[in-house]
This record gives sequence, structure tokens and C-alpha cells, in this order.
Amino acid sequence: MRRLVPAVLSATVLLAGCQGGGGGDTTTSNAAFDPSTCQGGTLTVLNQGGITHLDPARLYTSGGGNLPSLLFRTLTTRNRQPGEAGTKPAPDLATDLGTPSDGAKTWTYHLRDGIQFEDGTPITAADVKYGIERSFAPELPGGAPYLRDWLQGAADYQGPYKQPDGITSIETPDEKTIVFKLSKPEGDFPFLATATQFAPVPKAKDTGVDYEKHPISSGPYQVESYEPKKSLVLVRNTHWSTKVDELRYACPDRIEVTSGLDSAVINQRIVTGAGQDANAVTTDGVVGPEQLAQLGTGSELDKRVTRGEFPSTTYLAFNTKKAPFDNPKVREALSYAINRTSVVNALGGSAVVGPSTTFLPPQKALGYQQYDWFPAGDTGAPDKAKQVLAEAGLSNLSIELAYQNDDSEGIGPKVASAIQESFKQAGVTVKLTAIDTGTYRDVTGKPATQPGLSLATWGADWPSGGPFLIPIFDGRQIITAGGNFNLAQYNDPEVNKEIDAINALTDPAAAAARWGALDAKLGKLALVLPLTHEKDVYLYGKNVKNAYADGWRGQLDVARISVK
Amino acid sequence: MIRDLLRDRGFVAGAVIATGMVLVAVTAPLLAALAGQDYTTYHDTLLDSARGGVPIGAFGGISGEHWLGVEPGTGRDLFARLVYGAQVSLGVGIGATVLEVLLGVTVGVAAGLGGRWADAGLSRVIDLVLSVPSLVLAISLLAIVPQDWPRPIILAVVIAVLGWGGTARISRGETLTLRTRDYVAAAQVAGAPWWRVARREILPGLTAPILTYAALLLPTNMVVEAGLSFLGVGVRPPTPSWGQMLSTATTWFRADPAYVFLPGLLLFLTLLSFVLVANGLRRVLDPRQREVLR
Repeated sequence: MRRLVPAVLSATVLLAGCQGGGGGDTTTSNAAFDPSTCQGGTLTVLNQGGITHLDPARLYTSGGGNLPSLLFRTLTTRNRQPGEAGTKPAPDLATDLGTPSDGAKTWTYHLRDGIQFEDGTPITAADVKYGIERSFAPELPGGAPYLRDWLQGAADYQGPYKQPDGITSIETPDEKTIVFKLSKPEGDFPFLATATQFAPVPKAKDTGVDYEKHPISSGPYQVESYEPKKSLVLVRNTHWSTKVDELRYACPDRIEVTSGLDSAVINQRIVTGAGQDANAVTTDGVVGPEQLAQLGTGSELDKRVTRGEFPSTTYLAFNTKKAPFDNPKVREALSYAINRTSVVNALGGSAVVGPSTTFLPPQKALGYQQYDWFPAGDTGAPDKAKQVLAEAGLSNLSIELAYQNDDSEGIGPKVASAIQESFKQAGVTVKLTAIDTGTYRDVTGKPATQPGLSLATWGADWPSGGPFLIPIFDGRQIITAGGNFNLAQYNDPEVNKEIDAINALTDPAAAAARWGALDAKLGKLALVLPLTHEKDVYLYGKNVKNAYADGWRGQLDVARISVK
Repeated sequence: MIRDLLRDRGFVAGAVIATGMVLVAVTAPLLAALAGQDYTTYHDTLLDSARGGVPIGAFGGISGEHWLGVEPGTGRDLFARLVYGAQVSLGVGIGATVLEVLLGVTVGVAAGLGGRWADAGLSRVIDLVLSVPSLVLAISLLAIVPQDWPRPIILAVVIAVLGWGGTARISRGETLTLRTRDYVAAAQVAGAPWWRVARREILPGLTAPILTYAALLLPTNMVVEAGLSFLGVGVRPPTPSWGQMLSTATTWFRADPAYVFLPGLLLFLTLLSFVLVANGLRRVLDPRQREVLR
């Protein structure tokens, strides 16, 4: 499923149809749940998207449906909590979140004691360094691109197979210490250190592209069998214990993952809960209308639901280099005209998406600040839109809208039709241009071929304003060769300077406030037309306990679920 | 002959339904106007958004304003969408069938009347058309066709281009039989040019089998159109088609059964009616079947 799209969007693409979550109202924690006695049983995971490559170098930040972190411990990890607490990183292999120095350009980590691979070999700082170096190998593509950009002198590094000398800006002064030297200040480094590229890999066991057949585990489980995209069976790793890992409870003795299922099938199986399905969860099969119609009716199903929010925005991208969208009045008029209620309904209703007037989704960790510069109300303000257009001397406007030819990623014909209809109310004729989902990003991500108006989604690689705003609004990120995400093609040196300044902050709260202010400032320019943000509703089996959506990705946290 | 047909109750029922459907398709704008609805306007207030966007009210939100309820997820009027959907389903089906018959009969008769080499060559072409996996090819063709080309016409052409093999083969076979008849031979000996032989002597003899076959082709073509729309390569939104409606309905069949039921029922009735008509025609026009009828 993962396409060669080296950016944040792939997070959403990867778990196509799966929507994440991370928000607040999770109330499913069982009062009687005790992590010390939860061990036993077999957990079944029924998923849509399978794991294409079970290699820590090749997994994207949010890829793998929350399963990779059962195998790969990283320097830091997602704090395994629902709601806002879950949007923070927590130390995992390292003793803390890292010590910044030199104005957040140097980050130092110390490994904790007693950590071992599944074969009993102690994990050293060199193993972590080697794991990162592997992720630079062109043979192992797929990981997030940040390290190549951030690490000093790593831009052209080709991985340890071709350049065994390694990356000099990662230093391991002793077995327990690892130091990263960055080319610019990056206050978000502890967030990036949760990515699987930061998982240790023993050099002696590395078999290159075949490593994914049996990656060496540092987490509570190890691989018994793995078939790409189809199945994964995990059994206990006897060299892991809760003494060296307080975050993962690792309750089930065995975890069986089946992928490639239809989301309707997954949810129907979980609702019915026959046989082993009573122990089933899904980390990417968000409920459909069938189950939503049953929820909230006081049925037994109401007790088997968890809600989360993945920071993700669906929006209309204006190409401000193309007429008529170079005219701010046009962008403003369309912002007034949009009927977000029909977009919400097209995407599955208010249970799974919410209307957005801001580009940042409503998570505090991202620095969300409420604003609505072009009030369209719930169902659009066509009269106001007409007035703006008339003032600009543009009546009978006719525009084209590019969208994906299927609805799997939520930017398909359903949403496009809803938008077409809502702009029609404002006297704007929309011609729909479907682009094959497989090539959609290639067409829109290349300024030369980018349509004037296209549907887009953006999901955060980690819960912070930076990865949400930088690729979209940093003028230095306009990539003409393809893979561009700054679809407005907006380049303001002032904004770029502010981005650099926020990146240097190591206090997430201070950074969040500035990201929010930046978003509000950019919003006034109507460079994008925010439509909706994602909400997630997941069902789980009758025997499943302590199931909740984590605050980071909004998916069920498999590391804490029990089936005993 | 007409009397024979009218005695066949299946044919009569089929003909009535089929005529009704064609009338509905032709008068779709009128019917929608009569209902005071159009097929594009969204009615968000008629949907229960928290429940995924199911229509509020019984049986898909049936009301005095929305005679057959509204579409889940959008609130568009279902009656208007169904009658306009008939235009696409029937239009594409009939268009494709007419094209197939034109193409198939031309090639078939040419092969049957032409010399050995013409026959061999054209027959291989017919074999080729018959052996092509048409659905796969149709999907690929429709995916690469420029989007501003009129979609229903493209659909009809693609379906016809991939589906004229059967008609051609039947026409060729019939032509080969007919050309051995004395009156055809007489015309040929008299020096009539081949195109006159084809028009005057062969075509009248082909009418019965081809008419019957075409009546059976029509529902097949409608199913193909529904299938292509179901797969997302049919008509573009917001144009409705029954196949496309069935496709969206698959996710709603428990939450809003009415939405699956209505387009499904219409498609079923239309297909059944054409099959009944075809059967009736076949019985009456085919002498061997006439015995069975009595």
C-alpha cells in the first residue's frame, strides 16, 4: 500500500481507509484491569492494510497499524495513553527524552540497563546507530525522510552496505551513549526518535532486504511467522520483561494478525464475535454506517467502542500560481461558499469526521487555535461568496476540481460531488476531473502538472505543529521535480524565518503556541480551504479488555490490550 | 404474428414494463420536475450525520417531498436519481446494442458473402473480438479516455466495440445458409452487385434471428454498464446510474435497505422485461419454437 511518497501524507496513504485518532473521550479502561495479572490468551487482529515490509528501516512513522512497536523498541516511544497525555513522547530504550545542547542542534541519549535482543544479546548504542544507518540504504526505502535532512553530512549517505564507515554525525562514545549532531536546531527530535528507524539492529544478524523475514526483536514479542500484507504471528520474546519496559503491558501470549480484509467484514466479524473473533480488535478498520447505526442505541455494542483522533486534515488545495486561484478574492469566495456539512456526510458523518475551519486539526499538541476568517456557517454562505465574487468582477466563474477516482483515501468522487454542489449554490460551476488514485500524488505533487484546485489530505507524522505546517507552507519545501506538498506554492521569507525560529524551541508547549499563531496568520490568506478533520471510532471483541485509542495515532494500543 | 405475440403473456408483460421504463427514461426531466426535485441538490438536514449519514425517517426517508426517500450520505432525492439513472442505463444499453448490431451485421454479412479470403480474414477478426477479456479491456479503455468526452456515448461505444463478435458470427452463419438458397443464387446469377444482394436478399432473412439476439443483448449490455459504473469507470458524478447507485449501496445495505432495494429492483425489472420480450420474439420468429408455443 505504501507508495513512494516520501512524506507525511503517506502516513494516511499507508493506512488507507484506516483513519487514526488520538483525542479525548476514551472511557473504556476497565476499572478492574490490572497489568500485572493480565497475561494470557491469544489476541486476534483483523486489519485492512497489511504490513508490506516488516523492516524497521522501511516502516513509516505511523505505519504498520500500531503493531511494529511490539517488536521494535526505539530511543523514545509514544506515551501509551489516551487523549492528550498520549500525544507526548516517552523514554523507551533511552533513560530520558534526550538532552539537547548547542541550541537543540545536538541531542544526547543514554541507554537503560538490562535491555536485550530476542537472542539474549545486550543492546548497545552501536546497534541503534547501525539501525539508523541502514535506513539510509537505497535498498531499504520507505522510512520518513527527516533524518537525511536533519543529520549533519548525511544528505548523500548511501547506507552501511555501500559506505560501511557510517554517519559521522552519530557518535557512540561508549556502549550506552549515542549523540546526534544536527545541521539545524530541531526541538522535535524526541518525537522523531519514536520512529522505527531508531530501533536497534544487530549488525551480525542483518541480512539486508531479507531482514524483514525475521527482524530481531527488542520488544515484548518476536516473529513466529510473517507473510507480507497478509499475516503476522507474534509470540513472546523471553528476553524482554516488564522490568526493562514499563510502557508495554504485553498481556496476550500470542498475537495473530490477519490483513487484507474489507473494513465492513472486519467490523461485522467483531460485532458478531464468533469463536476467536471474540478476542479480536482492529487497528485500521474504522466503523462504517452499518455499525454507526447501531451505536448510541443502548445496545451491547456501546460498551465495545473506543474513539480517538488522528491529527489529519482534508482540504482543498489552491495552486496560487494558476488563474483564477492567484486571485485571493476567488479563494475567499470559495471559502465562504463551502458547505462543510455535506462534506462531513460524504465522508461518513459526524461520528468519523468533524468540520474544520483551521488547517491545524483541533489537537492541543499541535497548537490548535480556533479561527474562522471566512465564516461559512454549517452549510455555506453562498450569498456572501457571490458578493465577494461580484466585487472582484468575477461572475459566472467556472473552475476545475481534481480528485481521486475512488473513495479509499477520502478524497474521491463523494467529496468532490459534495463540493461541486456547494459551489454551485454560489454560482460557481465546477468541472470534476478524476485522476487515478495510483498516480494522483504524482500529478498533484509536481508543480508543472499540478491542477489549479485539488483535494488533498495531510496527516501528522507526530503530534506537533511542525510536521503539519512545514511541508505545506515552507517556501523552501517547494519541490519542482515531484513529491511537492506545498501545493499553494507559497513562499514568504517571513514565514520561513518563523518556522526556523519555532524549530529551535525545545519546549513543546512554547512551540505549540507559536505554530498555532502561524496557522491562524496563514489562514487569513486562504491558501488552503480546510474541510474536515478526522475522528476515529473502533470496535473491539467481547473478551477484549483495556482497549483504548492512543492519543498519538488514534488507533488501539495493542501493547496494552488484554484478552484474559 | 402480432397475434401470436399478444397471446404470449410473458411477452406482453415484458413489453409493457420495457415501454414503461423507456418512457420513464425519456420523460425523466419531466418526472423530476413533477416531483419538484432534481438529482444534484444535497439535503443535509434529512440525514442523521452522527449515524453515518443515514436518512432520517422510515424506509430511506420517504416523505411527501421525497417520494422514494433520499440517498444516504448526500440527501439527494432518490426518485430524481432513479429516473435520471434510467436514462444512462437504458441509453447506454440501447446505444451499445444498436452499434453492435450495425457493426456485427456488416462484418458478418461481408464475411458470409465475400470470397474465401475475406471470410477467413474477417472470421479471425471475429474470433479475436470474441476471445478478448472484454471487461478488463473496457476498464482500461475507460480509464484512459479523456474526461471531457461525453461519458455515456463513450460507454456505449466501448461496450459495442468489445461486444459485436456474437452478432457478427450469427450474421455470418445465417448469410452462409441464405446464400445457398435459390433466390439468392438467382440474384447473383442475374448479375446483381454484392451490396444489392446483401440488402435485398440477405438482410430480410437476417431480421428475425438478429432481432431476437439483439433483444437478448440489450439486457446484457445494461448489466455491463451497471458493472462498469459499479467498478467506478462508468458515468462521472453527479450523473446517476443504477449500477453506480448499487455500488454505493453496498456499504449501506443494513443501515438503509431501501437504497439497495430500489435501484436493484428497477434494474431487475428492466432486465427481466427485455428477456421476456426476447423470448417472445424468439418463439414467434423461430419456426421450430412455434411448435412448442402451441
